[in-house]
Amino acid sequence: MTRVRKRKIEGVIAMVLCTVAALTGLFWLVFILGDVLAHGIKALNLNLFINDPAPAGVEGGGLRNAFIGQLLITLCATLIGVPIGVLGGTFLAEYARGRRIARLISILSDIMVSVPSIVIGTFIYAVLVKPIGHFSGWAGAIALSIIMIPVVLRTTEDMLRLVPWTLREAAFALGAPYYKVIIQIVYRGASTGILTGILLSIARVSGETAPLLFTSFNNSFFSADMNKPIASLTVTIFQYAMGPYESWHSQAWAASLVITLSILTLTVIGRLLIKGRHGKR
Amino acid sequence: MNAAAEFDVKGLNFYYAGNVHAIKNITLPVHKKNVTALIGPSGCGKTTLLRCFNRMHDLYPGNRYEGEILFKGENIFSDEIDLIDLRSRIGMVFQKPTPFPMSIFDNIAYGLRLKGVKKISGLSERVEKALNNAALWDEVKDKLHASAYELSGGQQQRLVIARALAVEPEVILFDEPTSALDPISTSKIEDLIVELKKNLTIIIVTHNMQQAARISDMTGFMMLGDLIEYDSTDKIFTNPSEKLTGDYITGRFG
Repeated sequence: MTRVRKRKIEGVIAMVLCTVAALTGLFWLVFILGDVLAHGIKALNLNLFINDPAPAGVEGGGLRNAFIGQLLITLCATLIGVPIGVLGGTFLAEYARGRRIARLISILSDIMVSVPSIVIGTFIYAVLVKPIGHFSGWAGAIALSIIMIPVVLRTTEDMLRLVPWTLREAAFALGAPYYKVIIQIVYRGASTGILTGILLSIARVSGETAPLLFTSFNNSFFSADMNKPIASLTVTIFQYAMGPYESWHSQAWAASLVITLSILTLTVIGRLLIKGRHGKR
Repeated sequence: MNAAAEFDVKGLNFYYAGNVHAIKNITLPVHKKNVTALIGPSGCGKTTLLRCFNRMHDLYPGNRYEGEILFKGENIFSDEIDLIDLRSRIGMVFQKPTPFPMSIFDNIAYGLRLKGVKKISGLSERVEKALNNAALWDEVKDKLHASAYELSGGQQQRLVIARALAVEPEVILFDEPTSALDPISTSKIEDLIVELKKNLTIIIVTHNMQQAARISDMTGFMMLGDLIEYDSTDKIFTNPSEKLTGDYITGRFG
């Protein structure tokens, strides 16, 4: 009887501790989201999206340059990073499966995932910005793509490994060459998983500031030229939040809200895809 | 029974990566338009032997064949063999159904498209014919474009057989095709195999001795990589020459 009692008490204590921990985490999350929402929504208006910044200290203006710049950099990063990541993951899971090189690249990718992004920013600064002589949108996109590649590569590898071998064997048994087996059978079976990985990697880089500080820098004027310094939301938020003007602060809040909601949307879509996949099988 | 040979296995040895000797000097003829069953306890090498016929082992590095398998007189281990051609002439059905993640129609059409059948009209005719031959047409004709995953296990296995049939192979290899199915689905597939024998050669690996007795013409009994006895199914099940065979089929071990 006392043993049962003791166990029950232990159970209650463990439950209370877990609940407190969960609530602490949730509290800050809700606090941050709520704060961003409360401040951001006040400054959110159409002008923000269609106007370029007003001269420093002058009221009004918007962040069109930063929105477009952010989209351009992210799009280019995706176009560079996703093919390399998907093909690299395919190499590891298919052509190099079981070989030591595959294991090695997997481990290196895992390390790359956790490399501080500012290190990647300074690396691109050293190999691209310095030799060329100026900041550019391309340098920013390449820095972000380097952050994306290991994420996409590892998800692709894991998702391809989940496709049962018997499915590949069945396609081989019909006389299919390996590249057709991969493209027509394996990719199809793993498509939602790979897509999820891509979405999550885009969400991951959308919030990066450090790698852009050293690469695409910033631009107070509208520019869609990837060879020039280009504005991005995250760097703009950094600059505006540090700036002395009240109007800058409120615009930084609005930009924070927009970028937070975009990342939230991407993440939720990614999660829903994962859920949908498990529901189907 | 005394039909011409489809395959002539001559002194076949097979080693898995790491030099594991899985098939030990096996010689046997596989007759045309017959059902040949391979039986034996788990790990005896029957599935390994089956996967030699379409060189499935080539997918994994380090595996090694010795000896020959003549397919219509041609050694399938020779360098001149086009594996893609070989595998399109020798179909295979696995233990668990392996529908591809696509519609029922596309599953059947997969092998045909690989072979270059592009015209929609010809394609749908051949898909229908294959589904008919696999006794599945009536059950799926109204939902050809539904996902193959919506079918039951037994239906999926017949779908896979139809997919193999669609490319009009000369041989089909069955690797325990009914071990994951219920008795009704099993009997449908057994009927189907007997029906298919009219037009093609079948080699089947089975754990179920009654199944071998019901549907096969020839039976090979294997143990630890050796072919202990190979004879007509009637002989193996009523009057085996080897004591081991008799012990196994009467259930004394295995």
